[in-house]
Amino acid sequence: MIELHNIVKSYLVAGEDLVVLKDIHLTIEQGEFVAIMGPSGSGKSTLMNIIGCLDKPTSGEYHLQKKLVSDYNEKELAGVRNQSIGFVFQQFQLLPRLTALQNVELPMIYAGIGKKERIERAEDALDKVGLKDRMNHLPNELSGGQKQRVAIARSIVNEPSIILADEPTGALDTKTGEQIMDMFTLLNKEGTTVILVTHEAEVASYAERTVFVRDGELTSADEVVGHEALEKLRTKHDSAEQNNERGNFVNLEDVFEETETDDGTKGEEEATH
Amino acid sequence: MSIFESIKMAFSSLFAHKLRSILTMLGIIIGVGSVIAVVAIGQGGEAVLKSMFSGEANTIELMYMPSDEEIEADPSILYEDAFTQTDIDMIESIPEIEKVVSSSTESTNVRYQQESTESMVIGINQAYIDVHGLEIAHGRNLVAADFLGGSRAAIVSEEMKDELFEDGEEKDASELLGTVVYMNNQPIEIVGILEAEDNFFGLSMNSAYIPMNTWQTVFADTAITEVSIKANSADELEIAGEKAAAMLNTFHEKDDAYQILNMEEIADGIGKITRIMTIIISSIAGVSLLVGGIGVMNIMLVSVTERTREIGVRMSLGATRGQILFQFLVEAMTLTLIGGLIGMALGSGTALLVSHFAGWQPLVSLPVIVGGILFSMLIGVVFGLLPANKASRLDPIESLRYE
Ligand SMILES: Nc1ncnc2c1ncn2[C@@H]1O[C@H](COP(=O)(O)OP(=O)(O)OP(=O)(O)O)[C@@H](O)[C@H]1O
Ligand SMILES: [Mg+2]
Repeated sequence: MIELHNIVKSYLVAGEDLVVLKDIHLTIEQGEFVAIMGPSGSGKSTLMNIIGCLDKPTSGEYHLQKKLVSDYNEKELAGVRNQSIGFVFQQFQLLPRLTALQNVELPMIYAGIGKKERIERAEDALDKVGLKDRMNHLPNELSGGQKQRVAIARSIVNEPSIILADEPTGALDTKTGEQIMDMFTLLNKEGTTVILVTHEAEVASYAERTVFVRDGELTSADEVVGHEALEKLRTKHDSAEQNNERGNFVNLEDVFEETETDDGTKGEEEATH
Repeated sequence: MSIFESIKMAFSSLFAHKLRSILTMLGIIIGVGSVIAVVAIGQGGEAVLKSMFSGEANTIELMYMPSDEEIEADPSILYEDAFTQTDIDMIESIPEIEKVVSSSTESTNVRYQQESTESMVIGINQAYIDVHGLEIAHGRNLVAADFLGGSRAAIVSEEMKDELFEDGEEKDASELLGTVVYMNNQPIEIVGILEAEDNFFGLSMNSAYIPMNTWQTVFADTAITEVSIKANSADELEIAGEKAAAMLNTFHEKDDAYQILNMEEIADGIGKITRIMTIIISSIAGVSLLVGGIGVMNIMLVSVTERTREIGVRMSLGATRGQILFQFLVEAMTLTLIGGLIGMALGSGTALLVSHFAGWQPLVSLPVIVGGILFSMLIGVVFGLLPANKASRLDPIESLRYE
């Protein structure tokens, strides 16, 4: 379980405090599928990095699995990243000189797992993302979608309770993006908490819950976008899933336009951006 | 993460930049290689020099060296014969002495028909052959009968043969046996030709050996210039030498004109020279190692910058700062260790090659090898520490974003 209380993150830029996250309260239960949305520069990645124990908040309390993260030392934080959290990045972040299999082995190397077990588990993970036949390929011999699947295999190989994905479909085309999202859905069904950052409402619609970061503050996306609009997207996505054929991702701006016609005040808020 | 994993990782990243890695190693290779070679050659050479001065086959040399006071008191002392046959016979009676080797050398003209050459003609006694064992390539050695009868027989060096006979069409060496040549205008018959020596220093000399009696007749001189003794055992050598010197001093009523060649002093002197040489060349090698180490540090810093993203990824996957530090440290150590091993191989090879051609014992000793390995690893640690530390202090988020 993830509990954020009064999380503030500020950077000192040119002698002035730049507050990126103002006062974040967020609770995510084990097994949830949460999307984080918001305009560029709003602090989504910053929030993800704090949740992933890669970054430390300036103030506030972060409890991960009931433990206060600020109590952890450097080594324990590395242990948390290794055991409890799996990262998936927009730019895949595979090590270019290692094969798919060796990339997936990495988290287990830092977990101190022996060679034999490592290979077995890495093969299983690659099998799960459908890339067992590509395991000896180097990243530059793989397509974007395949790279991201390797990255997902790497993120799940230590069986973390949380997967953090920062715009995992950002560098992929629509079709490939859908495959990746299906994979996260599957992992979530197996009980893993999935938190993903995205710009696209279509991607967010895979999540059970969407939170919206704006000006360093958190709002439930339902409030902002309008419950109806999101429901509309969900239905669209569900029906598409049934037809096994999907339309283009709906841009966030389109969602706003739709809400604008419903409710003029929301549109005004958006216009300030 | 096991050390084995780290080493494997280090190898793969060094292997990814082969040329760069090899160029970086070069300083270490040259440094370690030259230290190994210099030390090995130096020790081998020192051993050879010492054995040369302490005489072959455990002999000690007796010298006639009147002191300044003695010369002042009686300048004619300088013109006395150093040793005579009487002296030889006398010291031969000392119980510790097994053999007295005596020889006299004169540089003179040797002629065969129209050809002539300036050469060393050495008169020797039977013991000389027993102790020094002249190697004969053709013909025969001088034998007891030659020494007793003072026969006009000579064994000559390869060089003298070449000087005297090279003009004619290539003759078989054995055909020259029995030829009479003129040494100091006295006819001498060539009975043997020495094996050509391929000594590192000696280019063996243009020389001829004749029996001592014959030499004394040829040069009308009874002086014996060089005397060395062989004791019953190596332990008794020093005592035997001292006894012989004392006996000669008493007999000739001299204070201290007869002496034994002080080997220890000479050995010390040689040791000092080789040590100084070793220190000088080792300092040069040390500078090379220092430069090599800085090269390693430089390349490791470049590598850290290039792999900033990799470091970020590894940290996000759960690598601790310690593990990142260790990884780069092992990489630097692997680099210098491989360099050290290559240097060691090249250095030992050079030493073996030089020793082979110089004809002395190669001395690549175990402590030097172990020391070299440890030292090259130490260089890796020392010069890898800064880059490794830099890598481990990187901010994971910044690193992941690094383009
Ligand atoms: N190291 C830093 N120093 C100063 N400011 C920073 C630093 N890192 C991030 N910021 C600022 O924090 C803000 C939030 O950045 P963040 O990367 O979290 O945005 P984001 O919501 O992920 O944007 P995007 O959707 O474009 O990825 C930005 O305005 C950025 O300029
Ligand atoms: Mg971002």
